Amino acid sequence: MGKKECIAMLLAGGQGSRLGALTSKIAKPAVSFGGKFRIIDFALSNCTNSGIDTVGVLTQYRPYLLHSYIGSGEAWDLDARDGGVSILPPYATQEGGAWYAGTADAITQNLEYIKMYDPEYVLILSGDHLYRMDYRKMLASHIQHKADLTVSVMPVPWEEASRFGILTADDDGRIQRFDEKPEKPESNLASMGIYIFSTKVLVDALEADAVDQRSSHDFGKDIIPKLLSEGYGLYTYEFHGFWKDVGTIASFHETSMDLLGPNPEFDLYDKSFPILSNITTRPPHYIGPDAVIDDALVSNGCKVYGTVRHSIVSTDAVVGERAVVEDSVLLPGAQVKAGAHVRRAILGENAVVEEGVKLGSVDTTKDTAVVGNDVVIGKGE
Amino acid sequence: MSMTQNRTLGYITANYITRENSVLTANRPLASVPFMGRYRLIDFPLSNMMNAGIKTVGLVMPGNCRSIMDHVGSGKDWLLDRKKGGLFLVPGNAYGTSKRGMRFLLRDIIANKELFKRSDKPYVVMMGSSIVFNLDLHQIVDAHETSGAGITMVYVKAVRHQDDASSLVIGDRGRVTQVRPGCDYGDNKFMDCFIIDRKLLLDIIEDYATADYLDIFEAIAGDFARIDVCSYEFKGLVVGIHGEETYYERSMQLIDPSIYEQLFNPDRPIITKAHDAPPAKYFAGSRATNSLISTGCEIKGTVRGSILSRGVIVESGAQVVNSILMQSCVIKSGARVENAILDKNNVVPANTELRGTPEHTLVLGKAPLNAE
Repeated sequence: MGKKECIAMLLAGGQGSRLGALTSKIAKPAVSFGGKFRIIDFALSNCTNSGIDTVGVLTQYRPYLLHSYIGSGEAWDLDARDGGVSILPPYATQEGGAWYAGTADAITQNLEYIKMYDPEYVLILSGDHLYRMDYRKMLASHIQHKADLTVSVMPVPWEEASRFGILTADDDGRIQRFDEKPEKPESNLASMGIYIFSTKVLVDALEADAVDQRSSHDFGKDIIPKLLSEGYGLYTYEFHGFWKDVGTIASFHETSMDLLGPNPEFDLYDKSFPILSNITTRPPHYIGPDAVIDDALVSNGCKVYGTVRHSIVSTDAVVGERAVVEDSVLLPGAQVKAGAHVRRAILGENAVVEEGVKLGSVDTTKDTAVVGNDVVIGKGE
Repeated sequence: MSMTQNRTLGYITANYITRENSVLTANRPLASVPFMGRYRLIDFPLSNMMNAGIKTVGLVMPGNCRSIMDHVGSGKDWLLDRKKGGLFLVPGNAYGTSKRGMRFLLRDIIANKELFKRSDKPYVVMMGSSIVFNLDLHQIVDAHETSGAGITMVYVKAVRHQDDASSLVIGDRGRVTQVRPGCDYGDNKFMDCFIIDRKLLLDIIEDYATADYLDIFEAIAGDFARIDVCSYEFKGLVVGIHGEETYYERSMQLIDPSIYEQLFNPDRPIITKAHDAPPAKYFAGSRATNSLISTGCEIKGTVRGSILSRGVIVESGAQVVNSILMQSCVIKSGARVENAILDKNNVVPANTELRGTPEHTLVLGKAPLNAE
């Protein structure tokens, strides 16, 4: 293997239990988003667009769809001879095997993979965040600071800061404090869960963490505070742009709606930094003679006969005659039959809302309605 | 389940021209003309072969092969980037045959005889690329095998007159007695698709070498009985593209799910070169009806009865009616396009009008990039 400057380790094993019915059968990074993508496309496309050609994807929870979706990595130009995508599920050795016990443990169990490429730097990513980032800029900042660890941060509104891991840095960006979900935040710079480690620092920290009985083996809770207390050079890299963790139904819905409107903050149409995906070829979508489409994204293979307002209609979804879909997300293959009304709802893949059913409410004080993958909602349900 | 992949080698001719002068085929072969928004005609024979598990395909290239090379690449989209077998881009006469309705120039077959000699498959399936359909080749190879015929030609009952096609005269037991140029309503229109025993093909290559300027069926015309030429009727949708008029007319008919879904059967998908465009975006106030719209389009204006390829932009107040807009066309604010075919990258300036009539479609050739 040739020596690499930087490889990426993509954490994609999370269950995403707060996405409820959407992740009852598939891992969170495999959940469909934005009409034709899956959530993991964003991190994989960032890698490709940043010139990173070696990506280890750590999987654990319900991995089949994710594994088949990633395949050879070809869809993201990551089918390289030396490197490319490697899927890294938990495995066994002579000493036995274990599930990944935390984000840090997942990397610890795959240190051999990192050592195989002998990179100068390791980029640690989450497979469930939506953003466009050129990691080369973050790496340049890491190198410039001669940092041991660089944490990507972004300013968040002060009133929301207590929901995040908050970093306090000096004028040079050197991290002074790290507080996980502080009640009284000292700063509004939130960790985005994106780390660049100098490899030796990472290996030493993980090997020490592995034998620490009190550790929960988590980067945010254990590794970063420990490195900070030991005086390592930890720096922030400030990111300005769109970044969302679509970890809950509410944020999934809100972030989907953010893609709409005349000038969305996250522009799927930016050709200089394309979001790549592994899609099946379907014909263009059909818009029926009486259809009304107003402020919507519609993907290939769809058929729209009714009314779609302020919504996302994913690949192969169908909106029947006289049906109304508003402020909603139809995931691939979802069907809204004739005369049905779907408002402020997320319909899972191949979910069906039968004829005449009224689902959801435009009342924003109520929870977004969710129909799980393959679930059929008939009258009276 | 029959194993066509272990029995059959594919051969596609992409090197014949339409007799008609058209800006749509000024710089590309008919085989790579964009069709149904995101496809090109060549996708159909390639996909039909892929869906039958065929892993070795010879594709006969035209003189102006740039667009087809760009589109087909290594053949990986059709699972033809194989270590064993795979896609072979083979040379052919720059313009194929010069005769109407003829697609399988014997000289091209002879020039590429290595493809047939090296194979160990008992059958070769040959297809043209201007007649579009989605069929189960397994069934046809099965029928061919059962009949014991040397050749099985696939046909459909014609529903219109067409000079640039050929028709089969069929006698007892479905045996073809003659292949005639041209085709009328009710004729047995040859779909430019047939199965031939590979050994028979090698014999024909030897025996008819002096007639190499002919189409294979012209060359063997006197020997149909000896060779045993059988027929197979296909009952599904067949769309022949023989020039601008059929291209426009048949495309417009396909704006109907009950019709286009006969081509785009998910069990036998039609595959095209993968592109990564985001979903189409409809802005507030857009008005789109009875149309086929591809990914990456941005619709602010009105679209009616039209087919839009990838990345077409229809600005606010613009109107697109009964038209076919190919990739990356831009219809500026207040412009109107009606009964027209616009090839790639055309920009229609604001408040201008491009208008054909139902009888005479207006056709604009491909515009240079950044035409603005």
